[in-house]
Amino acid sequence: MSEVGFVFSLSQLWHVAGGQVILILAGLALIFVDIWLSARHKSSEGTIMGWFTVFALMATLGHLVFREWPLHDIVFMGVFSAEKFSVFVSCIVLMSGILAALMSIGYLRNNSLVRGEYFILLIFAVYGTIALVQSVDLLMMFIALEVMSLAVYILAAFLKGDQKSQEGALKYFLLGSFGSAFFLFGLALLFGLTGTVNLTILAKTLSAGIFEQPGVLVALGMIMAGLFFKMALVPFHMWTPDVYEGSPAVITGFMATAVKAGAFGVFVKLLFVTFTPILSLSGQPEFFTTVNLAALGAYWKPVLWWLALLTMFFGNLIAVSQENVKRMLAYSSVAHAGYMALGILAANAEGRMGVLFYLFSYTLMNLGAFGVLYILDGKERGAQTLEDYRGLGFKYPTLSFLMSLFLVAMAGLPPTAGFIGKFYVFSAAIKEGYLLLAALGVLTSVIGAYYYLRVIYMMYMKDAVREIVPGPVAAPTVIALIITALGVIYFGILPEGLARIASIAQQSLAFVF
Amino acid sequence: MHAPLLTYVTFLPLLGVLGILAVPQRSDAAKDVIRGIALVTSLLVFVASLRIYFGFDSSVPGFQFVENHPWIPSYGISYHMGLDGLSFWLVLLTTFLTPITILSTWSAITHRVKEFQISMLVLEMAMLGTFVSLDLFLFYVFWEIMLIPMYLIIGVWGGPRRIYAAIKFFLYTAVGSLLMLVCIIGLVYFHKQETGILTFNLLSLYGTGIPRTYEILFFAAFALAFAIKVPMFPLHTWLPDAHVEAPTAGSVILAGILLKMGTYGFLRFAMPLFPEGSAFFTPTIIVLSVIGIIYGALVAMVQPDIKKLVAYSSVSHLGYCMLGLYVLSRQGVEGSILQMINHGISTGALFLLVGVVYERRHTRLIEEYGGIARVMPIYATIFLVVTLSSIGFPTTNGFIGEFLILLGAFKVNKVAAVIAATGVILGAVYMLWMVQRVFYGEITNPKNKLLKDLNVREVVYLLPLVFLIFWIGLFPNFFLKKMHTSVDHFISQVKIGTPYLAMKPDKEPNVLRASANGLFPKE
Repeated sequence: MSEVGFVFSLSQLWHVAGGQVILILAGLALIFVDIWLSARHKSSEGTIMGWFTVFALMATLGHLVFREWPLHDIVFMGVFSAEKFSVFVSCIVLMSGILAALMSIGYLRNNSLVRGEYFILLIFAVYGTIALVQSVDLLMMFIALEVMSLAVYILAAFLKGDQKSQEGALKYFLLGSFGSAFFLFGLALLFGLTGTVNLTILAKTLSAGIFEQPGVLVALGMIMAGLFFKMALVPFHMWTPDVYEGSPAVITGFMATAVKAGAFGVFVKLLFVTFTPILSLSGQPEFFTTVNLAALGAYWKPVLWWLALLTMFFGNLIAVSQENVKRMLAYSSVAHAGYMALGILAANAEGRMGVLFYLFSYTLMNLGAFGVLYILDGKERGAQTLEDYRGLGFKYPTLSFLMSLFLVAMAGLPPTAGFIGKFYVFSAAIKEGYLLLAALGVLTSVIGAYYYLRVIYMMYMKDAVREIVPGPVAAPTVIALIITALGVIYFGILPEGLARIASIAQQSLAFVF
Repeated sequence: MHAPLLTYVTFLPLLGVLGILAVPQRSDAAKDVIRGIALVTSLLVFVASLRIYFGFDSSVPGFQFVENHPWIPSYGISYHMGLDGLSFWLVLLTTFLTPITILSTWSAITHRVKEFQISMLVLEMAMLGTFVSLDLFLFYVFWEIMLIPMYLIIGVWGGPRRIYAAIKFFLYTAVGSLLMLVCIIGLVYFHKQETGILTFNLLSLYGTGIPRTYEILFFAAFALAFAIKVPMFPLHTWLPDAHVEAPTAGSVILAGILLKMGTYGFLRFAMPLFPEGSAFFTPTIIVLSVIGIIYGALVAMVQPDIKKLVAYSSVSHLGYCMLGLYVLSRQGVEGSILQMINHGISTGALFLLVGVVYERRHTRLIEEYGGIARVMPIYATIFLVVTLSSIGFPTTNGFIGEFLILLGAFKVNKVAAVIAATGVILGAVYMLWMVQRVFYGEITNPKNKLLKDLNVREVVYLLPLVFLIFWIGLFPNFFLKKMHTSVDHFISQVKIGTPYLAMKPDKEPNVLRASANGLFPKE
């Protein structure tokens, strides 16, 4: 293919993938900062490392927003792309990373866990996720997936000596490798069938006619299985509750948002660039066989229909019986994946926009909830059960109000961003005629409302049975909570701006490379 | 361009919330300040709503005070508010009842006053917003916002089984309203298919051509949401729980205004949006309304708890409202709207009165009382007046509403009218029997010997209600004339293509109205 004649150029690399460069450099620099700090300023190590991470991530965010957003380009021998869709998802990941880093400063201090590698791993996890989303090359995709996963596996096990954390991390690692293997098999199969690893060329080759071969279907199935694992769709969700409960609270929030955003982003990209190209190269109608390729929908849509339903249903249903709030939020995050799957299933512009909006708003409310959770917790697993939340409402009005706000947002009640997100994905599905699925979906969200409200009534309507001592509230966490709370309300009342950006972002999928 | 009056009225309560937030809740004096801010705010809202009253032109059939600004333009969602004869009195009822309710909580709610008053004001904002929204999305947003403060009011300040009641209230309402949301979106896309315009504007969506199956389906979903709220017969089970467990103020708002959301929803949304679906379900709804009337009355009769009795009487009264709506004649619909107002006033007053003795004795069981008219003469008098209004005694408001509804119903469906009319008798039975057991005879329970009569504050908040009972009862035309044009418009919207009613055309609408006017002299 002629357009693969890429020349390696540093300046172009910086121009297009500068965000990734900043992250790698910052991650490497942080290793030395850590060595220097642990020798001299042991006491302020967490704070300095944390703020360093925050600024590195913000610099990356700045690069993405100001330099990569207007681009539509490929770099590094056709491996990474900078187009609006990837940039938008990367921004969600970075936002999640920034909020998590801000909260981590307080979290590590409360749990006396300050060790430098935490932030280094966090940066690399963010890097892996962004690289995953930005890659247009199946091989790079897999490598990035592993970079992300490994960093997150270690972070999940960060509570050394805590059995649940170790158990969760090991489960995550074993099952995660299993999922990655599926993904890799799928990629290998595709490569074998088509002889290329580039998404666009793949799409061309497939649409030339071989898309109906069983091999392609198997490959698609395997890739979907591998990614569904990361997206935690039922029945690929089995690892989620243990891992989410076991991991450090802030990391759980990060995993539930950034990793999920990465997996959803790459899934959408694969699905709509390679398997159902929405438009064509550079806007020209080159794929005369696009309609044929869209016929693949007959295979994956029923699967996604059922998975979305099962995910919404079981995620919410099992969450009801949870006594531990953190575990409940884990199941709720499974349910949220189901709602987002609904948006992908719709396979229209509104659906993709809805998924992006949903990911963005979900990141805000979920991280917010985990931020409050870790403060109320005191020390990890100090006060996480519903019983512990009794009577907190009037004792800690601000924290309880914030928790209620985030939970109400997750339950999808107006005037919060959660409601708008649900509205977008549901209306996209209804537009495509999935009325029954939408109706069943909203009914599951009533189940959801039940358990979210249960936390609220525990806080406001029951009297405390035991004394809870929340940990000290660190200033960076306050900043993060203010951002998340304001965001949840702001995008609940004035969603148009973000929705418009998300809409532009998803359009870029039509012109990938 | 006039001032955005509806926005002011709707969001003014939030200003009070800000004020309350600034006051720390430490001492009793601070609590009084908080109550004072809430009261003044709600009074200001009432005063502001009076400007709506004076600015309202009842001869205009369309919407007035319209505000329309794009909100989420890519989805055709706008901030669209307006008022017509259907919602006019409901808005005023809301602004009128809220200060009374807040005044009634002065000594009833003593802990977590701040949170309570905030909930009340947020609730008022949501209720007003629901009544004036002309955009389905905006309406839905207000409709859902309403749930949270009510959930908290029942759940935090309620009785012993408050949590059960609060969750039941929430889940029942949420199931209905979420299905409604799905159908709202479905309707919007049908409209887009037909016209190519994506809009949530209610006025554009009226008359959308939808396949019959979907129209029936959509109406069913809307009707479910609203019927739960009304509540209609088989869906009413949350109501007694919520009413009994809620604090007095919660019950008053619940009965007085929230239930009207259901009937208003039928009036504004379900029926005019889906006339065919509405026609399809007309027999079902009439049957369920009549069952509700009789069933509510019968169950009310055997309640040992005064509050539960009043709660079941709501089921019965709201049955009249639904019957009146489905009569689809001017008398019926106007009677129904008037009955909504009446029910808000008289049942609201009854809950307030029950709250008064509950505050003194901490029990609501009928058997605990007896003969208390001797120690509480003023209380007994007011209670009797409100009771008479509730059972539809002539010269009180209840009579007008029920009379108009039955008059309308008789023309369309004699059987339903006759059965519903027996509900009036049953109503008299359970109310008067309760009054007799509570107020008359000897004082059987020594604890009641020292009951204090109403104090000034209680008289102050009850008198306006008593005044209104007679005002509506004696000069109903003052209220009805604001509705005429809007109601006619509503009927013309819903009656299009309704075979069920087309068979029985309204031959002499003016004759009967004239006779009604003859009965009730103009003011």
